[in-house]
Amino acid sequence: MLDVERLSKIYVNRGDGPAGGLQEASFSLSGATFFALLGPSGCGKTTTLRCIAGLERPDDGLIRVGDEIFFDATQGVSVPMNLRRIGMVFQSYAIWPHMSVFENVAFPLRVARDEKFTAGELARLVDEALARVSLDGFGSRSATRLSGGQQQRVALARAVVRKPRLLLLDEPLSNLDAALREEMRNELRRLQQEIGVTTVYVTHDQTEALEMSDRIAVMSQGRIVQMGQPQEIYFRPANRFVADFVGTTNWLKGQLGETRPEGLRELTLGSGRSIVCTAPTAAPANAHVSIRPESIALHAIDTSRPPETNRLEGSIVFAGFLGVMNRYQVDTGDAVLQAYAAASAQHRVGDRVALDFAFRDAAVLPE
Amino acid sequence: MTSDSADVPVAAPMRASSLRGHATDLFGRAWLGVLIAGIIAVLVLPPAWTLLRTSLGTIQNDMSLSGLTLQNYADLAASPRLATTMLNSIVFATFATLVSLIFGGVLAWLVERTDVPMKGLAYLTTIISLGTPYILYVTAWLYLLGRAGPFNDIYRGLIDPEASPFDVNSLAGMVMIEGFLWSPLVFLLLSSSFRAANAEMEEAARMAGASIAQTMMRISLKLAWPAILALALFVFIRNLESFEVPALVGMPGRVDVLTTEIYRSIKEMPPRLGYASAFSVVLLLIVSVLLFFYGRISRHAERYASITGKGYRPRPFLLGKARWPAACFILFNFLVVLLLPILALVWVALQPFVRPMRWAALNFLTTKQFAAVLTSPHYLELGINTFIVAVATASAVMLLTLFAGWLAGRRQIGGVVSDQLVTVPLVFPGLVLGVALLELALRLPIPIYGTLWLIVVAFMIRYMPYGMRYSFAGILQIHPELEQAAGVSGAGRGTMLRKVVFPLLWPAMASGWLFIFLLCAKEMSLPLLLAGPNSQTISVAMFDLWSNGQGGEVAALGLIWAALMTGVAATFHIIMRRQSAGTFGH
Repeated sequence: MLDVERLSKIYVNRGDGPAGGLQEASFSLSGATFFALLGPSGCGKTTTLRCIAGLERPDDGLIRVGDEIFFDATQGVSVPMNLRRIGMVFQSYAIWPHMSVFENVAFPLRVARDEKFTAGELARLVDEALARVSLDGFGSRSATRLSGGQQQRVALARAVVRKPRLLLLDEPLSNLDAALREEMRNELRRLQQEIGVTTVYVTHDQTEALEMSDRIAVMSQGRIVQMGQPQEIYFRPANRFVADFVGTTNWLKGQLGETRPEGLRELTLGSGRSIVCTAPTAAPANAHVSIRPESIALHAIDTSRPPETNRLEGSIVFAGFLGVMNRYQVDTGDAVLQAYAAASAQHRVGDRVALDFAFRDAAVLPE
Repeated sequence: MTSDSADVPVAAPMRASSLRGHATDLFGRAWLGVLIAGIIAVLVLPPAWTLLRTSLGTIQNDMSLSGLTLQNYADLAASPRLATTMLNSIVFATFATLVSLIFGGVLAWLVERTDVPMKGLAYLTTIISLGTPYILYVTAWLYLLGRAGPFNDIYRGLIDPEASPFDVNSLAGMVMIEGFLWSPLVFLLLSSSFRAANAEMEEAARMAGASIAQTMMRISLKLAWPAILALALFVFIRNLESFEVPALVGMPGRVDVLTTEIYRSIKEMPPRLGYASAFSVVLLLIVSVLLFFYGRISRHAERYASITGKGYRPRPFLLGKARWPAACFILFNFLVVLLLPILALVWVALQPFVRPMRWAALNFLTTKQFAAVLTSPHYLELGINTFIVAVATASAVMLLTLFAGWLAGRRQIGGVVSDQLVTVPLVFPGLVLGVALLELALRLPIPIYGTLWLIVVAFMIRYMPYGMRYSFAGILQIHPELEQAAGVSGAGRGTMLRKVVFPLLWPAMASGWLFIFLLCAKEMSLPLLLAGPNSQTISVAMFDLWSNGQGGEVAALGLIWAALMTGVAATFHIIMRRQSAGTFGH
């Protein structure tokens, strides 16, 4: 459906902070996919989106939707943005303040070059789009008299009113407050599935990306560093950057040692203690191990260690009660590790505890 | 892991069709920028070139230009007039700047940062005086401080019947009148920077134990200093360029400054165009240098600006016992800047000839002057001329800068060039631009000299930078995504501009239009040089009337004109408010 090949866009010294360039990004999506571009600011995710939309002209590469080529550097093809028939929701929503809600949504139909709509068709399509975003009856409202959430819905209605081939969303939820954001997350996903449009979603919020997407591409410094389903990204991060950026993780440093069966290796920590972890065969001897806080179980020291499990002992240096759970930081001598425990747990700062985590939950990751 | 599609086609060599595609694509994006930059260049560059060329040539008897010589500059350097007029100009500009800065600055601080009473009066005074033509103001003061005016009259009545201690046609008189002329603007600009200043900085100083005076000296003044300095330089430049006061006040008393010297040499028979051009180039260079420093200082000032945007008003300083003396200052301002001049004008307009303010003279009150102005077809024609010029100029400037502002604000092709070219006229004092256009028009094959259109072109050049400020600021307030959303929705560039940018820019454009309209309606120096017998405007007529000693008619004409302009401005303002309320739902 959407194919992007070796897309590059280099900004030459923009003078305002890190240049948000893009290098050789490639991906292809099948129809009706919800695809998230996830990364920190300046990683190139917005540049990718703007290149697909036609707001930026890439330096190199190819963009194709279905069998129509939007951009091809080798053939010098670049379809102007207004002929691409794409729906887009901007970060600021970009609701035109001098038009009513109806006129905002009707705009793409009114300026369409290839199709002419009668007044009746136009009204029907706009009402349909407004109904999709639960704004029935808001048509005559002035666009300036809308709350943030309503503006968001108008922007969505405008983006889908012409049945676009592709829906592009540029951090659409970042201007909403937390409660509204969760509501809109569900609604966006529902809308996308209803109309079955291929969607590219730019965000720096990993929770959003994990919850909403069929596939995620994690970007860093202008490159796609990992692409896959949410579970794949979370449980099998390709490198240290992805593990750090998606979710929270603990790091232990050590020397890789003896090889065990089934892809496991021994790792000797700085203190001389050793643990068992998974590691790629080519990993260098100096290794970093990632352990997710939620895969660490906190036990009293005198309990017995389950099989296939590492155990590190340490004392609690920080205890925080979050309502749904407790968050502890435990100094093991090698590092301060973060771990979660049920809300009912009652460890206190200074207590000695045992940290247990399965061999398979500790993974050596490349740089 | 980065690519799902492994089979990547081999890069095809660049084909001719793609080159052509690139060319048409580039043309499609560039033609608007090239067109706009071209129009601006055609307007802006020839005057500068003509001025320079004339200053370096010899004028033949048939007005043609020949040779390349520094003779004009040599004459200039040898002439004692250069040193005298330059010194006069500098003294005049410096002291006038000081007067308006101290007067307007103190007023601004009192109104914005203290609990002085009668703040409204200060604003009222300022707004009304900004709408009054300078020449009207100047004539009012000429009467007030003149031989027959009330000040000399009272002195004669009380102390010495033979003396006239106030000599208005002197450097001191010029300084005073020019100073009062600019103090309303200083007040407006400084009050906005006092208002924007972060009061927490002052409050922090007070909490740290500083007294009001210490806070003022060590914090407020230090923070405002770059802004004050920039404003001082700006007013200084304006004073150097000013023509109204030197011409009306200085010339009769033989006090000449750079601008009046240029005017004199043009009006001589035969006109000494080469000499005037050399003089103009000198003035132009001085202004350019000063503007360069102004740009640097005001950038510095922006860094000091600490606008919080929290929208809360700082607690004013409590003046205590000083409240009423401070109020007297505001009253004094009202009296000097508004009431006295207007009373004087009304008095002069209602008398058959200029005479002192006496009870006895009340018997001679007459509406003859008003009747003369209102019934004369000549004045009606002048009014219509002025209207045509002002409307044409304001519309043309706003239309041109609308595109230029968009190109520059959105960094389109041609935007940067347009932006830079548009600011070029800032270095032209009105009179110098007049000289340049006069020379240009005399040499052009098209018969534009002596028509209203020459004045329109001159005003367009002069006020383009102002129009650009409005449109550029307006564009920057429109979020770029509003335009991009239109593009992604399927609109081409033309549709996007027409349906999104223009409607949103409308309020900014309308205020810019009104501003330029009012400036054109009262500016004198340009039309004075460029008007032919059939292309006179109101301000030129007022100058001529005054030169002929018809003070009464000047006053009557001026009052009627000022009332008309105030009416236009007010109506426009009300319509605008309604319009934008309709559009933006505020």
